[in-house]
Amino acid sequence: MAVTGSVFVAFLLFHMAGNLKVYLPDAELHFNEYAHWLRGFLNPLLPGSSFLWAFRAVIALCLVLHVYAGTTIFFRARVARGGFGRAITAKWHALTGRTMIWTGLIILCFIIFHLLDLTVGAKGVASKSFSGKATYTLEDGEVVTNAYQNLIGSFERPAVAAFYIITMVLIAIHLSHGIWSIINDFGGTASRTRSVFLVLAGLIALVIVIGNASIPLAVLAGVIS
Amino acid sequence: MRLILEVWRQDGPQAQGRFETHEITDATPEMSLLELLDRLNHQLVEQDQDPVAFESDCREGICGTCGIDINGVPHGPEDNVPACGQHVRSFHDGQTVRIAPFRAKSFPVIRDLIVDRTGLDRIIQAGGTVAVDAGTAPDADTIRITHHDAEEALDFAACIGCGACVSACPNGAAYLFTGAKLAHLRLIPAAQQERSKRARSMVAQMEQEFGPCSQIGECALACPAKIPLRAIAAVNRERIRAGFRSRSKEN
Repeated sequence: MAVTGSVFVAFLLFHMAGNLKVYLPDAELHFNEYAHWLRGFLNPLLPGSSFLWAFRAVIALCLVLHVYAGTTIFFRARVARGGFGRAITAKWHALTGRTMIWTGLIILCFIIFHLLDLTVGAKGVASKSFSGKATYTLEDGEVVTNAYQNLIGSFERPAVAAFYIITMVLIAIHLSHGIWSIINDFGGTASRTRSVFLVLAGLIALVIVIGNASIPLAVLAGVIS
Repeated sequence: MRLILEVWRQDGPQAQGRFETHEITDATPEMSLLELLDRLNHQLVEQDQDPVAFESDCREGICGTCGIDINGVPHGPEDNVPACGQHVRSFHDGQTVRIAPFRAKSFPVIRDLIVDRTGLDRIIQAGGTVAVDAGTAPDADTIRITHHDAEEALDFAACIGCGACVSACPNGAAYLFTGAKLAHLRLIPAAQQERSKRARSMVAQMEQEFGPCSQIGECALACPAKIPLRAIAAVNRERIRAGFRSRSKEN
Protein backbone atom coordinates (compact mmCIF):
# COMPACT_ATOMS: atom_id res chain seq x y z
CA MET A 1 0.00 0.00 0.00
CA ALA A 2 2.71 2.42 1.05
CA VAL A 3 4.97 1.78 -1.97
CA THR A 4 2.21 2.18 -4.56
CA GLY A 5 0.64 4.98 -2.53
CA SER A 6 3.93 6.92 -2.50
CA VAL A 7 4.07 6.63 -6.31
CA PHE A 8 0.57 8.13 -6.50
CA VAL A 9 1.44 10.99 -4.14
CA ALA A 10 4.43 11.91 -6.34
CA PHE A 11 2.31 11.54 -9.48
CA LEU A 12 -0.48 13.73 -8.06
CA LEU A 13 1.95 16.52 -7.18
CA PHE A 14 3.52 16.55 -10.68
CA HIS A 15 0.10 16.24 -12.30
CA MET A 16 -1.12 19.25 -10.33
CA ALA A 17 1.96 21.31 -11.18
CA GLY A 18 1.16 20.72 -14.87
CA ASN A 19 -2.50 21.54 -14.38
CA LEU A 20 -1.66 24.88 -12.74
CA LYS A 21 -0.30 26.12 -16.09
CA VAL A 22 -3.91 27.10 -16.85
CA TYR A 23 -3.32 30.15 -14.63
CA LEU A 24 -0.37 31.43 -16.66
CA PRO A 25 -0.87 34.31 -19.08
CA ASP A 26 -1.05 32.73 -22.55
CA ALA A 27 -2.38 29.64 -20.81
CA GLU A 28 -3.60 27.96 -24.00
CA LEU A 29 -0.09 28.02 -25.52
CA HIS A 30 1.75 26.92 -22.36
CA PHE A 31 -0.72 24.17 -21.48
CA ASN A 32 -0.75 22.68 -24.98
CA GLU A 33 3.03 22.96 -25.26
CA TYR A 34 3.35 21.12 -21.95
CA ALA A 35 0.91 18.40 -23.05
CA HIS A 36 2.89 17.99 -26.27
CA TRP A 37 6.19 17.85 -24.35
CA LEU A 38 4.80 15.11 -22.09
CA ARG A 39 3.90 12.94 -25.09
CA GLY A 40 7.40 13.15 -26.47
CA PHE A 41 9.23 13.12 -23.13
CA LEU A 42 12.87 11.91 -23.34
CA ASN A 43 12.89 12.30 -27.16
CA PRO A 44 15.11 11.64 -29.01
CA LEU A 45 16.67 9.24 -26.47
CA LEU A 46 13.47 7.20 -26.55
CA PRO A 47 11.33 7.09 -29.70
CA GLY A 48 7.87 8.69 -29.95
CA SER A 49 5.64 8.32 -26.90
CA SER A 50 7.47 5.29 -25.52
CA PHE A 51 8.26 6.97 -22.18
CA LEU A 52 4.64 8.00 -21.80
CA TRP A 53 3.47 4.42 -22.37
CA ALA A 54 6.06 2.95 -20.01
CA PHE A 55 4.97 5.49 -17.41
CA ARG A 56 1.31 4.62 -17.96
CA ALA A 57 2.14 0.91 -17.53
CA VAL A 58 3.85 1.57 -14.19
CA ILE A 59 0.95 3.71 -12.93
CA ALA A 60 -1.58 1.11 -14.07
CA LEU A 61 0.36 -1.65 -12.30
CA CYS A 62 0.52 0.46 -9.13
CA LEU A 63 -3.23 1.06 -9.37
CA VAL A 64 -4.00 -2.66 -9.67
CA LEU A 65 -1.71 -3.51 -6.73
CA HIS A 66 -3.05 -0.63 -4.62
CA VAL A 67 -6.69 -1.64 -5.18
CA TYR A 68 -5.85 -5.31 -4.58
CA ALA A 69 -4.00 -4.55 -1.32
CA GLY A 70 -6.74 -2.17 -0.14
CA THR A 71 -9.58 -4.61 -0.71
CA THR A 72 -7.56 -7.41 0.91
CA ILE A 73 -7.12 -5.29 4.06
CA PHE A 74 -10.83 -4.45 4.03
CA PHE A 75 -11.99 -8.05 3.83
CA ARG A 76 -9.35 -9.41 6.25
CA ALA A 77 -10.36 -6.70 8.72
CA ARG A 78 -14.03 -7.63 8.43
CA VAL A 79 -13.25 -11.26 9.20
CA ALA A 80 -10.96 -10.38 12.14
CA ARG A 81 -13.56 -8.03 13.65
CA GLY A 82 -15.96 -10.97 13.87
CA GLY A 83 -19.22 -9.12 13.29
CA PHE A 84 -18.96 -6.79 16.30
CA GLY A 85 -19.27 -3.15 15.30
CA ARG A 86 -16.90 -0.50 16.59
CA ALA A 87 -17.80 3.15 17.14
CA ILE A 88 -15.41 5.85 15.94
CA THR A 89 -13.74 7.46 18.97
CA ALA A 90 -10.23 8.40 17.83
CA LYS A 91 -11.50 11.36 15.74
CA TRP A 92 -9.83 12.35 12.46
CA HIS A 93 -7.66 9.32 11.63
CA ALA A 94 -10.36 6.90 12.76
CA LEU A 95 -12.79 8.59 10.40
CA THR A 96 -10.42 8.88 7.44
CA GLY A 97 -8.80 5.49 8.05
CA ARG A 98 -12.07 3.63 8.18
CA THR A 99 -13.42 5.29 5.04
CA MET A 100 -10.30 4.62 2.93
CA ILE A 101 -12.04 1.83 1.04
CA TRP A 102 -15.05 4.05 0.18
CA THR A 103 -13.10 7.19 -0.74
CA GLY A 104 -10.80 4.86 -2.69
CA LEU A 105 -13.66 3.30 -4.66
CA ILE A 106 -15.07 6.72 -5.61
CA ILE A 107 -11.57 7.85 -6.65
CA LEU A 108 -11.27 4.70 -8.78
CA CYS A 109 -14.56 5.56 -10.54
CA PHE A 110 -13.25 9.10 -10.97
CA ILE A 111 -10.00 7.87 -12.55
CA ILE A 112 -11.97 5.88 -15.14
CA PHE A 113 -14.21 8.89 -15.86
CA HIS A 114 -11.22 11.24 -16.00
CA LEU A 115 -9.38 9.03 -18.52
CA LEU A 116 -12.48 8.70 -20.73
CA ASP A 117 -13.10 12.43 -20.46
CA LEU A 118 -9.69 14.02 -21.01
CA THR A 119 -7.35 11.27 -22.27
CA VAL A 120 -9.44 9.04 -24.52
CA GLY A 121 -12.19 11.54 -25.30
CA ALA A 122 -14.90 8.90 -25.35
CA LYS A 123 -18.25 9.86 -26.88
CA GLY A 124 -20.86 10.70 -24.24
CA VAL A 125 -18.21 11.37 -21.57
CA ALA A 126 -15.89 13.95 -23.12
CA SER A 127 -16.98 17.48 -23.95
CA LYS A 128 -17.98 18.65 -27.45
CA SER A 129 -14.53 20.19 -27.86
CA PHE A 130 -12.85 16.78 -27.68
CA SER A 131 -15.40 15.06 -29.93
CA GLY A 132 -14.88 17.95 -32.38
CA LYS A 133 -11.10 17.13 -32.41
CA ALA A 134 -10.09 20.69 -31.51
CA THR A 135 -6.50 21.38 -32.56
CA TYR A 136 -3.93 24.02 -31.69
CA THR A 137 -0.97 25.28 -33.71
CA LEU A 138 2.22 25.64 -31.64
CA GLU A 139 4.73 28.45 -32.23
CA ASP A 140 6.86 26.20 -34.44
CA GLY A 141 3.83 25.50 -36.63
CA GLU A 142 3.17 21.96 -35.39
CA VAL A 143 -0.54 21.11 -35.06
CA VAL A 144 -1.37 19.33 -31.77
CA THR A 145 -4.49 18.30 -29.86
CA ASN A 146 -5.95 21.27 -28.05
CA ALA A 147 -5.81 19.81 -24.52
CA TYR A 148 -6.57 23.25 -23.07
CA GLN A 149 -9.89 23.56 -24.92
CA ASN A 150 -10.80 19.98 -23.92
CA LEU A 151 -10.29 20.91 -20.28
CA ILE A 152 -12.28 24.14 -20.53
CA GLY A 153 -15.03 22.34 -22.48
CA SER A 154 -15.22 19.63 -19.86
CA PHE A 155 -15.36 21.96 -16.86
CA GLU A 156 -17.98 24.22 -18.45
CA ARG A 157 -20.44 21.41 -17.72
CA PRO A 158 -21.51 22.17 -14.11
CA ALA A 159 -22.25 18.54 -13.17
CA VAL A 160 -18.81 17.41 -14.34
CA ALA A 161 -17.11 20.33 -12.57
CA ALA A 162 -18.97 19.41 -9.38
CA PHE A 163 -17.86 15.79 -9.70
CA TYR A 164 -14.23 16.90 -10.09
CA ILE A 165 -14.42 19.20 -7.08
CA ILE A 166 -16.06 16.61 -4.84
CA THR A 167 -13.53 13.97 -5.85
CA MET A 168 -10.64 16.34 -5.09
CA VAL A 169 -11.99 16.74 -1.55
CA LEU A 170 -12.20 12.95 -1.24
CA ILE A 171 -8.65 12.56 -2.60
CA ALA A 172 -7.47 15.05 0.04
CA ILE A 173 -9.18 12.99 2.77
CA HIS A 174 -7.70 9.78 1.34
CA LEU A 175 -4.23 11.38 1.19
CA SER A 176 -4.36 12.85 4.68
CA HIS A 177 -4.60 9.31 6.05
CA GLY A 178 -2.56 7.64 3.32
CA ILE A 179 0.55 9.79 3.69
CA TRP A 180 0.41 9.40 7.47
CA SER A 181 0.19 5.62 6.96
CA ILE A 182 3.31 5.60 4.76
CA ILE A 183 5.52 6.30 7.77
CA ASN A 184 3.85 3.49 9.70
CA ASP A 185 4.10 1.00 6.84
CA PHE A 186 7.76 1.79 6.24
CA GLY A 187 8.42 1.35 9.95
CA GLY A 188 9.25 4.92 10.99
CA THR A 189 9.37 4.82 14.78
CA ALA A 190 11.22 8.09 15.46
CA SER A 191 8.91 10.67 17.01
CA ARG A 192 10.20 13.60 14.97
CA THR A 193 9.96 11.80 11.61
CA ARG A 194 6.42 10.81 12.48
CA SER A 195 5.43 14.37 13.35
CA VAL A 196 6.92 15.54 10.04
CA PHE A 197 4.81 13.02 8.14
CA LEU A 198 1.69 14.00 10.06
CA VAL A 199 2.20 17.62 9.04
CA LEU A 200 3.17 16.62 5.48
CA ALA A 201 0.01 14.53 5.17
CA GLY A 202 -2.21 17.48 5.99
CA LEU A 203 -0.16 19.90 3.91
CA ILE A 204 -0.02 17.81 0.73
CA ALA A 205 -3.73 17.00 1.04
CA LEU A 206 -4.53 20.72 1.31
CA VAL A 207 -2.26 21.68 -1.59
CA ILE A 208 -3.82 19.01 -3.83
CA VAL A 209 -7.40 19.98 -3.03
CA ILE A 210 -6.79 23.73 -3.35
CA GLY A 211 -4.62 23.45 -6.48
CA ASN A 212 -6.83 21.08 -8.41
CA ALA A 213 -10.35 21.96 -7.28
CA SER A 214 -9.70 25.63 -8.01
CA ILE A 215 -9.45 24.92 -11.76
CA PRO A 216 -13.07 23.77 -12.38
CA LEU A 217 -14.20 26.56 -10.00
CA ALA A 218 -12.24 29.13 -12.03
CA VAL A 219 -13.69 27.79 -15.28
CA LEU A 220 -17.24 27.95 -13.90
CA ALA A 221 -16.64 31.46 -12.58
CA GLY A 222 -15.33 32.50 -15.99
CA VAL A 223 -11.87 33.44 -14.68
CA ILE A 224 -10.23 31.18 -17.28
CA SER A 225 -11.87 30.36 -20.59
CA MET B 1 -26.55 6.38 42.36
CA ARG B 2 -28.90 4.28 40.30
CA LEU B 3 -27.50 2.50 37.22
CA ILE B 4 -29.12 0.17 34.72
CA LEU B 5 -26.63 -2.53 33.72
CA GLU B 6 -27.02 -4.49 30.52
CA VAL B 7 -24.63 -7.38 31.03
CA TRP B 8 -23.62 -9.98 28.45
CA ARG B 9 -24.52 -13.49 29.62
CA GLN B 10 -23.28 -16.54 27.76
CA ASP B 11 -23.28 -20.00 29.33
CA GLY B 12 -20.39 -21.40 27.31
CA PRO B 13 -18.28 -21.03 24.16
CA GLN B 14 -20.94 -22.62 21.97
CA ALA B 15 -23.97 -21.12 23.74
CA GLN B 16 -26.02 -18.24 22.36
CA GLY B 17 -25.24 -15.02 24.25
CA ARG B 18 -27.70 -12.32 25.31
CA PHE B 19 -27.79 -9.05 27.24
CA GLU B 20 -29.45 -9.25 30.66
CA THR B 21 -30.73 -6.08 32.32
CA HIS B 22 -30.17 -5.47 36.03
CA GLU B 23 -30.61 -2.43 38.22
CA ILE B 24 -28.11 -1.29 40.81
CA THR B 25 -29.58 1.24 43.20
CA ASP B 26 -26.71 1.76 45.64
CA ALA B 27 -23.75 2.44 43.34
CA THR B 28 -21.34 5.11 44.57
CA PRO B 29 -19.24 7.44 42.38
CA GLU B 30 -15.93 6.18 43.80
CA MET B 31 -16.66 2.51 42.97
CA SER B 32 -14.51 1.02 40.25
CA LEU B 33 -16.23 -0.80 37.41
CA LEU B 34 -15.09 -4.13 38.84
CA GLU B 35 -16.56 -3.21 42.20
CA LEU B 36 -19.77 -2.40 40.38
CA LEU B 37 -19.74 -5.94 38.96
CA ASP B 38 -18.98 -7.30 42.47
CA ARG B 39 -22.01 -5.38 43.74
CA LEU B 40 -24.14 -6.84 40.94
CA ASN B 41 -22.92 -10.38 41.69
CA HIS B 42 -23.70 -9.92 45.38
CA GLN B 43 -27.22 -8.93 44.40
CA LEU B 44 -27.53 -11.89 41.98
CA VAL B 45 -26.37 -14.39 44.61
CA GLU B 46 -28.87 -12.96 47.11
CA GLN B 47 -31.59 -13.57 44.51
CA ASP B 48 -30.35 -17.16 44.00
CA GLN B 49 -29.10 -16.43 40.49
CA ASP B 50 -25.75 -17.27 38.87
CA PRO B 51 -23.19 -14.50 39.33
CA VAL B 52 -21.65 -12.90 36.23
CA ALA B 53 -18.30 -14.50 35.37
CA PHE B 54 -15.56 -11.92 34.82
CA GLU B 55 -11.78 -11.83 35.18
CA SER B 56 -9.81 -9.65 37.57
CA ASP B 57 -6.67 -9.95 39.62
CA CYS B 58 -4.51 -7.10 40.90
CA ARG B 59 -7.15 -4.36 40.56
CA GLU B 60 -4.42 -1.74 40.37
CA GLY B 61 -3.74 -1.72 36.65
CA ILE B 62 -0.60 -3.81 36.42
CA CYS B 63 -1.73 -7.35 35.65
CA GLY B 64 -3.84 -7.07 32.50
CA THR B 65 -6.35 -9.64 33.66
CA CYS B 66 -9.46 -7.51 33.68
CA GLY B 67 -10.92 -6.61 30.36
CA ILE B 68 -14.49 -5.72 29.52
CA ASP B 69 -16.17 -3.51 26.96
CA ILE B 70 -18.16 -0.64 28.47
CA ASN B 71 -20.68 0.84 26.03
CA GLY B 72 -18.61 -0.55 23.15
CA VAL B 73 -15.30 0.87 24.41
CA PRO B 74 -12.64 -1.50 25.83
CA HIS B 75 -12.02 -0.91 29.56
CA GLY B 76 -14.46 2.01 29.70
CA PRO B 77 -15.02 5.67 28.85
CA GLU B 78 -11.71 7.07 30.15
CA ASP B 79 -8.77 6.82 27.74
CA ASN B 80 -5.69 4.81 28.77
CA VAL B 81 -7.17 3.47 32.02
CA PRO B 82 -7.84 -0.24 32.74
CA ALA B 83 -11.33 -1.33 33.79
CA CYS B 84 -10.21 -1.67 37.41
CA GLY B 85 -9.16 1.99 37.42
CA GLN B 86 -12.34 3.31 35.77
CA HIS B 87 -14.96 4.64 38.10
CA VAL B 88 -18.71 4.86 38.32
CA ARG B 89 -18.36 8.67 38.45
CA SER B 90 -17.94 8.59 34.65
CA PHE B 91 -21.68 7.86 34.42
CA HIS B 92 -24.66 9.94 35.42
CA ASP B 93 -27.47 8.86 37.71
CA GLY B 94 -29.94 6.57 35.97
CA GLN B 95 -27.65 5.89 32.99
CA THR B 96 -27.80 2.58 31.15
CA VAL B 97 -24.35 0.98 30.99
CA ARG B 98 -23.75 -1.86 28.58
CA ILE B 99 -21.09 -4.32 29.77
CA ALA B 100 -19.81 -6.81 27.20
CA PRO B 101 -16.74 -9.02 26.88
CA PHE B 102 -13.79 -7.87 24.75
CA ARG B 103 -14.90 -8.17 21.16
CA ALA B 104 -12.90 -9.64 18.28
CA LYS B 105 -12.97 -12.76 16.14
CA SER B 106 -9.74 -13.89 17.79
CA PHE B 107 -11.21 -13.51 21.31
CA PRO B 108 -13.95 -16.17 21.57
CA VAL B 109 -16.13 -15.92 24.68
CA ILE B 110 -15.57 -18.64 27.28
CA ARG B 111 -18.34 -17.56 29.63
CA ASP B 112 -20.18 -14.27 30.25
CA LEU B 113 -17.48 -11.57 30.26
CA ILE B 114 -14.48 -13.91 30.05
CA VAL B 115 -12.79 -14.27 26.66
CA ASP B 116 -10.05 -16.56 25.44
CA ARG B 117 -6.98 -14.34 24.91
CA THR B 118 -4.51 -17.15 24.30
CA GLY B 119 -4.03 -15.82 20.74
CA LEU B 120 -1.78 -13.19 22.32
CA ASP B 121 0.13 -15.90 24.23
CA ARG B 122 0.75 -17.72 20.96
CA ILE B 123 2.38 -14.56 19.56
CA ILE B 124 4.66 -14.43 22.62
CA GLN B 125 5.44 -18.15 22.28
CA ALA B 126 6.29 -17.64 18.61
CA GLY B 127 8.82 -15.02 19.74
CA GLY B 128 10.74 -17.76 21.54
CA THR B 129 13.31 -17.26 24.24
CA VAL B 130 16.29 -14.99 24.57
CA ALA B 131 19.61 -16.79 24.96
CA VAL B 132 21.39 -15.39 28.00
CA ASP B 133 24.58 -16.46 29.65
CA ALA B 134 23.41 -18.39 32.72
CA GLY B 135 26.79 -18.31 34.43
CA THR B 136 27.80 -15.93 37.18
CA ALA B 137 26.31 -12.47 37.08
CA PRO B 138 28.28 -10.21 34.70
CA ASP B 139 30.02 -7.12 36.01
CA ALA B 140 28.05 -3.95 35.76
CA ASP B 141 28.73 -2.06 32.51
CA THR B 142 30.02 -5.11 30.60
CA ILE B 143 26.88 -4.91 28.48
CA ARG B 144 26.36 -1.29 27.61
CA ILE B 145 22.97 0.28 26.96
CA THR B 146 22.27 3.99 26.81
CA HIS B 147 19.90 5.59 29.24
CA HIS B 148 17.60 6.58 26.37
CA ASP B 149 17.41 3.03 25.01
CA ALA B 150 16.78 1.60 28.44
CA GLU B 151 13.96 4.07 29.09
CA GLU B 152 12.46 3.48 25.65
CA ALA B 153 12.59 -0.31 26.10
CA LEU B 154 10.90 0.07 29.48
CA ASP B 155 8.15 2.23 27.96
CA PHE B 156 7.31 -0.54 25.49
CA ALA B 157 7.74 -3.24 28.14
CA ALA B 158 4.87 -1.56 30.01
CA CYS B 159 2.37 -3.57 27.92
CA ILE B 160 0.29 -5.70 30.29
CA GLY B 161 -1.12 -7.88 27.50
CA CYS B 162 -4.77 -7.22 28.32
CA GLY B 163 -5.92 -7.28 24.69
CA ALA B 164 -7.77 -3.95 24.75
CA CYS B 165 -5.94 -2.92 21.55
CA VAL B 166 -7.42 -5.88 19.67
CA SER B 167 -10.88 -5.23 21.04
CA ALA B 168 -10.69 -1.51 20.22
CA CYS B 169 -9.35 -2.05 16.70
CA PRO B 170 -12.00 -1.82 13.96
CA ASN B 171 -9.79 -4.30 12.07
CA GLY B 172 -9.27 -6.70 15.00
CA ALA B 173 -5.50 -6.28 14.68
CA ALA B 174 -2.86 -7.02 17.32
CA TYR B 175 -0.20 -4.65 15.96
CA LEU B 176 0.07 -2.51 19.09
CA PHE B 177 0.60 -5.60 21.25
CA THR B 178 3.12 -7.27 18.92
CA GLY B 179 4.81 -3.94 18.22
CA ALA B 180 5.26 -3.26 21.94
CA LYS B 181 7.04 -6.60 22.38
CA LEU B 182 9.25 -6.18 19.30
CA ALA B 183 10.10 -2.55 20.09
CA HIS B 184 10.93 -3.49 23.67
CA LEU B 185 13.23 -6.43 22.83
CA ARG B 186 14.99 -4.81 19.87
CA LEU B 187 16.62 -2.31 22.24
CA ILE B 188 17.86 -4.82 24.80
CA PRO B 189 21.48 -5.91 24.07
CA ALA B 190 20.92 -9.43 25.39
CA ALA B 191 18.00 -9.95 23.00
CA GLN B 192 19.89 -8.96 19.82
CA GLN B 193 20.91 -12.49 18.84
CA GLU B 194 17.37 -13.53 17.92
CA ARG B 195 16.14 -10.20 16.57
CA SER B 196 15.26 -11.24 12.98
CA LYS B 197 14.04 -14.69 13.91
CA ARG B 198 11.79 -13.20 16.56
CA ALA B 199 10.35 -10.61 14.17
CA ARG B 200 9.64 -13.19 11.47
CA SER B 201 7.89 -15.69 13.68
CA MET B 202 5.94 -13.24 15.85
CA VAL B 203 4.65 -11.32 12.83
CA ALA B 204 3.73 -14.56 11.02
CA GLN B 205 1.81 -15.77 14.08
CA MET B 206 0.08 -12.40 14.48
CA GLU B 207 -1.01 -12.30 10.83
CA GLN B 208 -2.43 -15.78 11.14
CA GLU B 209 -4.89 -15.01 13.91
CA PHE B 210 -5.42 -11.26 13.91
CA GLY B 211 -6.46 -8.57 11.46
CA PRO B 212 -4.44 -6.13 9.35
CA CYS B 213 -3.47 -2.63 10.57
CA SER B 214 -4.65 0.52 8.83
CA GLN B 215 -3.33 3.09 11.33
CA ILE B 216 -6.71 4.09 12.71
CA GLY B 217 -5.34 4.80 16.18
CA GLU B 218 -8.12 3.40 18.38
CA CYS B 219 -5.70 0.93 20.02
CA ALA B 220 -3.42 3.57 21.51
CA LEU B 221 -6.42 5.34 23.06
CA ALA B 222 -7.68 2.16 24.67
CA CYS B 223 -4.27 0.96 25.90
CA PRO B 224 -4.12 1.10 29.73
CA ALA B 225 -0.30 0.95 29.57
CA LYS B 226 -0.13 4.01 27.27
CA ILE B 227 1.81 2.15 24.56
CA PRO B 228 2.25 4.82 21.86
CA LEU B 229 1.06 4.31 18.28
CA ARG B 230 4.76 4.16 17.28
CA ALA B 231 4.65 0.51 18.36
CA ILE B 232 2.71 -0.23 15.16
CA ALA B 233 5.54 1.15 13.06
CA ALA B 234 7.91 -1.05 15.07
CA VAL B 235 6.13 -4.14 13.73
CA ASN B 236 6.76 -3.02 10.16
CA ARG B 237 10.27 -1.84 10.94
CA GLU B 238 11.28 -5.19 12.41
CA ARG B 239 9.49 -7.08 9.63
CA ILE B 240 11.18 -5.08 6.87
CA ARG B 241 14.57 -5.38 8.59
CA ALA B 242 14.18 -9.16 8.92
CA GLY B 243 13.03 -9.35 5.30
CA PHE B 244 16.26 -7.78 4.08
CA ARG B 245 18.39 -10.20 6.06
CA SER B 246 19.24 -13.74 5.02
CA ARG B 247 16.85 -16.29 6.48
CA SER B 248 19.84 -18.20 7.81
CA LYS B 249 20.62 -15.29 10.13
CA GLU B 250 18.85 -15.13 13.45
CA ASN B 251 20.05 -11.73 14.59
